[in-house]
Amino acid sequence: MTPSEWTLLIVVFAPFVAAAVALALGRWLGRQSGWLMVIAAGVSFAGAVRLFLGHSAEAPPVYHYDWIPDLGISLRLIGDPFGLFFAMLVAGIGLLVGFYSVHYIDDLPKARVGRYYAALIAFMGAMLGVSLADDLILLFIFWELTSLTSFLLIGFWYEKEDGRKGALTALQVTAVGGLAMLAGFVLVSVAGGTFSISELSGGGEAARALQASPLFSWALVLILLGAFTKSAQWPFHFWLPGAMVAPTPVSTYLHSATMVKAGLFLVGRMWPVFDGAPLWTPLIATIGLVTYVLACWQALIETDLKAILARTTLAALGMVMMLYGLKAPDQDALQLLSHAAYKAPLFLIAGIVEHATHTRDYRKLGGLQSAMPLTFVLCLFAALSMAGLPPMFGFLAKEALYANLLENEVLSGSPALRVLVIGLCVIANAFLFAVSFRLIVDVFLGAPGEKSRDAHEAGPGLWLSPAVLVAVVVGMGVLGVTHLPQTIVNSLSSDAGAHVHVSLIPSLDHPGPLILSGLTIAAGIVVFQMRWVIGAWHERFKFLPTMQRVWDEMLHGVTVFAVAFSERWQNGSLRWYFSGILVFFAGLCAFALSRHGFGFEHFDLSVREATWPGVTLCAMLLAAIWRVTTAPTRLSAAIAITTVGYLVAMLFVVYRSPDILLTQILIETVSTIFLLLVLYFMPAFRPMTIQPARRLVNAVISGAVGLSMFTLVLLATSPTFREADNLADDYLSHALTHGGGYNAVNVTIVDQRGIDTVGEVTVVMAVGLTIVGLLRVRREAA
Amino acid sequence: MTPEGRPSDSPRKAARSLDSPARAPRFAEDSSAHDSPVLRMVTRIATPLALAVSLIIFWQGHNHPGGGFIAGVMAAAAGAMYLLGFGAERAARFAWWRVAVVGVLIAYASGTAALIAGKPFLYQTVFHVPVIGHLPSTVFFDGGIYLIVVGTLMTIFVELARERL
Repeated sequence: MTPSEWTLLIVVFAPFVAAAVALALGRWLGRQSGWLMVIAAGVSFAGAVRLFLGHSAEAPPVYHYDWIPDLGISLRLIGDPFGLFFAMLVAGIGLLVGFYSVHYIDDLPKARVGRYYAALIAFMGAMLGVSLADDLILLFIFWELTSLTSFLLIGFWYEKEDGRKGALTALQVTAVGGLAMLAGFVLVSVAGGTFSISELSGGGEAARALQASPLFSWALVLILLGAFTKSAQWPFHFWLPGAMVAPTPVSTYLHSATMVKAGLFLVGRMWPVFDGAPLWTPLIATIGLVTYVLACWQALIETDLKAILARTTLAALGMVMMLYGLKAPDQDALQLLSHAAYKAPLFLIAGIVEHATHTRDYRKLGGLQSAMPLTFVLCLFAALSMAGLPPMFGFLAKEALYANLLENEVLSGSPALRVLVIGLCVIANAFLFAVSFRLIVDVFLGAPGEKSRDAHEAGPGLWLSPAVLVAVVVGMGVLGVTHLPQTIVNSLSSDAGAHVHVSLIPSLDHPGPLILSGLTIAAGIVVFQMRWVIGAWHERFKFLPTMQRVWDEMLHGVTVFAVAFSERWQNGSLRWYFSGILVFFAGLCAFALSRHGFGFEHFDLSVREATWPGVTLCAMLLAAIWRVTTAPTRLSAAIAITTVGYLVAMLFVVYRSPDILLTQILIETVSTIFLLLVLYFMPAFRPMTIQPARRLVNAVISGAVGLSMFTLVLLATSPTFREADNLADDYLSHALTHGGGYNAVNVTIVDQRGIDTVGEVTVVMAVGLTIVGLLRVRREAA
Repeated sequence: MTPEGRPSDSPRKAARSLDSPARAPRFAEDSSAHDSPVLRMVTRIATPLALAVSLIIFWQGHNHPGGGFIAGVMAAAAGAMYLLGFGAERAARFAWWRVAVVGVLIAYASGTAALIAGKPFLYQTVFHVPVIGHLPSTVFFDGGIYLIVVGTLMTIFVELARERL
């Protein structure tokens, strides 16, 4: 293995090692487990940077291991610039969040803190896996791992109702999307013949096969469902505000800076694969734009600081999604980096404010700048970047967005559409502007609110992380006078040929973006002045259904349906169940026989083997069966059934089948013991009066089952069948050649069908444990 | 189709109302009703015999009628005999479910051993051991099955026998 292969593995798996350590030692380390996250993030970040600097974009480092070659699934990691950009984002912010978290999460039981860090670090590993996976199935596994760890982290305050609900909703929505995405991946591999992303996107044979396939659009829609749910795009956006019940480091890391960007990352990975799909622009651009505009509106309505930030996160995600839809993927690195750089510190600052004042409602805050001057300055810079004002990084990103929209080729067909899109974007950004100033004015300036009294400045452990990110915000903005930010974001984009113009110095030849920025600021000031009016006006529309309510109703409907269905079909009547099983069995036999040309001419109805002992035994069998059906008590019925079993065993003696004979006798013995043990608890035997109609139905079912079994046995033993599908010879011969044993039955169980047996015995054990659980719990309760 | 004839009362209630007012606990060591010296005597001799036969059946399973599954059932039948002779509480002193769990672990471990040797999961081979001679690797997997069957069946026997009305 080459050093770069090692580095790839270390980047992805170092966090998992750290997570295991945190889980094992968290009980003793307590909040100090956070340093494990810092170390793991540092290692991964350094590795990603090294890979990025050490390789050209044309020949990215690859690690390949044939994981499940039979299914074409491999453990394949690739360090292309976009993946490494995402990995650096994940690890870099992970480092800062880990550091912040050590100082934020205190006075909790140590074991619980250990579990928290284990989930958080494992999440980081999963995100790094998503960033660098080149195999769709591997990507999916890491993807679902992020959903799971996110579930655990949102539900950190699991003793609170809204904590559990938020976690569950997030998991449900993202898991549904994840499964759809898996289906999409499978379709892609069916059509393209491979799970490898780089093969599918290279324009080679796999890519052509996929594009020509009728499954192309289906795969796209299914994969996009995964991306939309993960990135909380409308109409799946509602889980994200609900996820804000998590501790602030989690909200910062998962639900703003990294995990919710995974959906965008997926689209960034997939656009080369789905280049030219007819659904691409209408679907992605529309959803993105709707999310963008709606989220900006709602951000102004929210009163909880973290909820406000969650909405603005949605807006940014929607904006990037829209850009992908408009076939402008070259901007993704710029927009994602710019958003992460200002949003993460804003979240961390919201955490600091909550830590100091014990509230996140801005109506109870105000005038904090005198007590928390440093936090105020950090918030000021980050919020100005969100507002898109120079000289912040956000200004550069916004200018680039406007520049793109003004010249976008997808919109070139219809000027009206271009005006509409640009108009909506300006309005959305004006709202974003107002929200940014609300964070500055309503929290830090003005008259102190009811909760502002106890405010105090946070220690360096808390402000250092946002300060680093704010330095990025300001630094990248100011450096905009040079070509450095432009070079960085263009080399990190998913579009290898990206050449976005990023500059702090407005170009006077193309004043369009600057004019639009000016318009945005003017409109933003108006919205800001009207912020209280808009909030009050919104109150009137409270009755409108929200997606959260629609989702809850849907889940409620599923429960109602499931209960009704279970009550109808699982009503506890053994007769009902048994009829169902038998009807299904007879139907299956009839179906199979009719498909394979059912005819008695195939049957070998000779009576050659009907020896006298055999015929006698059969007669006794019939008598015993008659006894079963007419027995007056359960006990006598049980004895008669056992008799039937032993008589069948006798038949195996007559027809020389010692193996089955042994099995039959033992099973019969054991099941009789069971029967007798259970009969004790049965209610007294009460022969029931059965209505004639029902009796007729029962007779028909019995007759059908008997006939099915009869024909099945005849068919299985008929010469034609033996010649057609000679399974018996197959097994018999393979038992010796492959299994090395003469007992074909046992060799089949332990060797040739070993996997089946493993599954079966696991189920057997599980049944045993379940019985212990059920009976003991009941006994101990009594 | 509507399911007919579901007793309106719970089964236990119905049993109480129709049968004798109270039944003695079964198979308990203090219950003289089921204490049979003859059965104990027979059990004392027959249980080890049956166990020995089950081991023989297990061992010859590769080439002759037998194998882990059926030998396990046989051993469980022997266990059931012991249970009937000496009482459920005595049989319950041992946590039988653990046998089943150990069996599952052995079965998985034998499959994983093949993985470690670089073969597919559950790949089987034949060892040539001094003294024993020809030893198929399936014997470990089969042993796991034996333990699972014994453990699960005994668990169910014991738990059912300890039930009280």
